[in-house]
Amino acid sequence: MKLATIGVGNAGSKVIDRMVEFEQATGRDLCRHTLVINTARTDLAKPEHVPEDRRLLIGETHKKAKGHGVGGDAAIGAEVAQTEIDDIRRIFDDVEIHEVDAILVSAGLGGGTGSGAAPVVIEELQKMYDEPVYGLGLLPGKYEGGRPALNAARSLQSFVNKVDNFVAFDNDAWRSRGQTIEEGYEDMNRELATRIVTLLAAGEVDDSEIGENAMDSSDIMRTLEVGGVSSIGYASTGVNTPDDGLLSRFSDEEVSELESTDAAKIKGLVRRAVNSRLTVPCDVSSAERALIVFAGPPSEISRKGVESARDWLEQETETVDVLAGDDPRPNSDTLAAVVLLSNVTDTPRIKEIQDQAVDAQNTIQQQEAVREEEIESLITDDDNDLDPIV
Amino acid sequence: MKLSLFGVGNAGTRLVDQLLQAEAETGRNFTDGNVLAFNTAAEAFGETEALPEERQILIGDTHSAVNQYVEPSQDGPDTDAASATQRDSAGVDGDPELGATVADDELPEIRRALDLVDDTEVDAAMVVAGFGGGTGCGVSSVLLEELKSVYEIPVYVLGALPSTRESDERALTAARAVRTFVPLADAVLPVDNDTWARSTTPLDEQYEEINEAIATRVLSVFAAGESDPGVVSEMRIDPADVMRTLDVGGLASIGYSTIEVDNSDEGLVARLMQLLGLADETPDNQTDAATVKRLVRSALESKLTIPCDIESTDRVLLILSGPPKDISRKGFETGRYLLEEKTGTVEVLAGDEPMPNASEITATVLFSNVTDVPRIDELQERAVTYKQEQDAETEAIDTTTAVEGATALDSDTSESEADDDDEEQPFEFHGDGDERSENGDASGGDTGTETEATEDESESVDPDSAEDEADTTAADTDSDDDTTTADDDTTTADDDETEKEAAATPDERE
Ligand SMILES: Nc1nc2c(ncn2[C@@H]2O[C@H](COP(=O)(O)OP(=O)(O)OP(=O)(O)O)[C@@H](O)[C@H]2O)c(=O)[nH]1
Ligand SMILES: Nc1nc2c(ncn2[C@@H]2O[C@H](COP(=O)(O)OP(=O)(O)OP(=O)(O)O)[C@@H](O)[C@H]2O)c(=O)[nH]1
Ligand SMILES: [Mg+2]
Ligand SMILES: [Mg+2]
Repeated sequence: MKLATIGVGNAGSKVIDRMVEFEQATGRDLCRHTLVINTARTDLAKPEHVPEDRRLLIGETHKKAKGHGVGGDAAIGAEVAQTEIDDIRRIFDDVEIHEVDAILVSAGLGGGTGSGAAPVVIEELQKMYDEPVYGLGLLPGKYEGGRPALNAARSLQSFVNKVDNFVAFDNDAWRSRGQTIEEGYEDMNRELATRIVTLLAAGEVDDSEIGENAMDSSDIMRTLEVGGVSSIGYASTGVNTPDDGLLSRFSDEEVSELESTDAAKIKGLVRRAVNSRLTVPCDVSSAERALIVFAGPPSEISRKGVESARDWLEQETETVDVLAGDDPRPNSDTLAAVVLLSNVTDTPRIKEIQDQAVDAQNTIQQQEAVREEEIESLITDDDNDLDPIV
Repeated sequence: MKLSLFGVGNAGTRLVDQLLQAEAETGRNFTDGNVLAFNTAAEAFGETEALPEERQILIGDTHSAVNQYVEPSQDGPDTDAASATQRDSAGVDGDPELGATVADDELPEIRRALDLVDDTEVDAAMVVAGFGGGTGCGVSSVLLEELKSVYEIPVYVLGALPSTRESDERALTAARAVRTFVPLADAVLPVDNDTWARSTTPLDEQYEEINEAIATRVLSVFAAGESDPGVVSEMRIDPADVMRTLDVGGLASIGYSTIEVDNSDEGLVARLMQLLGLADETPDNQTDAATVKRLVRSALESKLTIPCDIESTDRVLLILSGPPKDISRKGFETGRYLLEEKTGTVEVLAGDEPMPNASEITATVLFSNVTDVPRIDELQERAVTYKQEQDAETEAIDTTTAVEGATALDSDTSESEADDDDEEQPFEFHGDGDERSENGDASGGDTGTETEATEDESESVDPDSAEDEADTTAADTDSDDDTTTADDDTTTADDDETEKEAAATPDERE
């Protein structure tokens, strides 16, 4: 499909940047428009693949933001986006919306800008366009603490209510030891970009010569239209450069044997995609709909394999709504299977974040309730004998 | 962040001068020259090294009640006894009321001076003063009022608390300064001179050393990221993070700790191997995570600018400063989580200050709105006792009725209490490290409940006492327990919020 992509906040923008990087490296053309919105000037400088005039600084005149971010305060993130909604609208003026199939808004749900401003942007986009608006949200890790969890739990609600589908990415599941601050989230952002781009770039050339097995944008949109939270699985394998003359040298028997190993390979790939790390860990059987995209040289995609992989996934997801199709990439040296599990309702991490958020909110309310009183009692003596100077 | 600095009195002038020296030394341009110093006597003006002369504003020199100020001699420092004595009592001579009066009278001059500083270029302003000084307390009060009424940016106060070795009058002035500054300022950062002085040498000989330590800490928080704002980092600290942390007001305290980074060949080789894919996960990195966590722990257990029970803090900010390539992200995260566990607050912001060429990693922790600060209670007790004595004396001169006699008796009792307090000062030896016991000392110096408090505190050093800590936290706030039970659904609250937004602009889709 063809997308307009918008990154909100630091994390959201970085992910969009990585998506563009990946599609350029693999000759895809998914992101027709890219835009990043942030409250922090320093963060706006980070993307390498987003043109200067596609970066919008908001909240520069807000007393507490001033171009420095909102310090994790989602309320301010939402406030500045609301205040500057006209500027946000205006930057869509030169977006040819009929050229895209959908809009994708990505954000880190733990930060103040991403969690606060993104839902405001989404709401506006839903008003402006008929095209579906999808969310791509990065869930904070447990060790980031209570405030990010609270931001995320709240923002998740807004996101899921407002978007047509919400693809979740769990930072905890993707956390790895050997990273320094410098490398930061690079690895996980690349993993995420690979998954989301490989999935959504299928069917980007709708009307072409490609065969009936090709995945269509409308198939992906149909799978996503149920709403809720979705998770993506991915697996890939290297392929040899196709050599058409080869098969003809084998006997029929040999060919069918080869085909069955090809079929097994395809099914194994899909299995691996579902059983390895999903963008957000979930109970696969809780998915409402599912879809498999095979991206790679068409010669590598065995029809039999696709069929048995689809059957297998139908069983796993306990749904008959499983679509499978190809994204032919004749020159690719890998064959990838991407599995979209749409509207998964059993996601333990989200439950955990919500629990952590409830605790955090209680602590915050307790602190607020006694704050003034405690300061007052600290600065005054017991009998209030000491008077202020002015 | 960018900060304008306003030094007031001798302490304020010296501290600002020290902050400017640190600014130059570290290359963290956080004031951009937006500095001023106000004084009622020229004493400290003669000593400055980095603070330009034209930014030093002498006020009240023509005021009748202000002692004739002594022009600093052009031909050499005053050494003769006569002028030294005169200089000691120059300025408002420790009288905060007089300090405030002078500042009020000279508001036009103060305002003219304020024009030299551009408040639109900075993120916040900071008034710096000795809380016990007549000038530091009196003039700062008026200045603070003025700044708060004309500035939109936050105004913070940094200042020294008088030592127990200083006069009761200074204690009274400082206690009143706290009482005045906290409601006016956006946050107040007191520095406990007693904690920072080594007990043997006279205090004034240690000012420079104390001021240096304070400047290091203040810059680590407020000047973070200003040395090279161009360096990109994943989790860079924003000025908004600092401001949001301090947003709750009250008193704030800073902890600080540093370690050298391994720039040895071995470390380099390991990194190279990793880069080349010859070693997929260097065991080093795991150590790094532990090292960073240990660093954060030692910062939170370090000698704080003002000792306090960190469990009483409202919000926390962690800044890791150093070469990003050496700071483990996991260490960063576990360090932050440690702070949440140790302080019991969920408002812990964290970020880094990328210093690619630094040879050390520094952890700075800002504890905002700490409410359990034994030094303040001590100061108040001493102040009240002294004030009652003063009042009694005045009244004893005026009249000699039996009623007043009773007041005099009262103050006698308080005086002996104060004596007890003083004896209690050396109370310590419960922590496990040097610095720790210094903290514990100060927080245990209160009367009445100090034994308990101290026990809690030393337990909190134990990494495995999470439950105990939770208990303590719960006990601290148990009065609100019932206000929070109703809330088992975070998301409902938000729904309302977003609903409001939606209501403001009708949603076509629904
Ligand atoms: N996956 C991923 N998560 C990130 C990345 N950077 C930050 N995060 C997460 O996003 C959250 C922080 O959000 P940011 O995007 O940095 O903050 P922001 O939305 O810009 O808001 P403020 O900084 O509060 O103004 C945290 O929960 C991080 O875990 C990234 O590059 N990748
Ligand atoms: N840490 C630190 N404290 C200081 C310094 N100079 C003075 N103090 C303390 O600050 C308090 C006030 O002293 P000064 O600053 O000299 O007083 P002032 O504000 O100029 O006002 P006057 O009392 O009128 O002279 C005292 O408690 C001193 O101990 C300093 O350089 N560093
Ligand atoms: Mg940020
Ligand atoms: Mg008190």
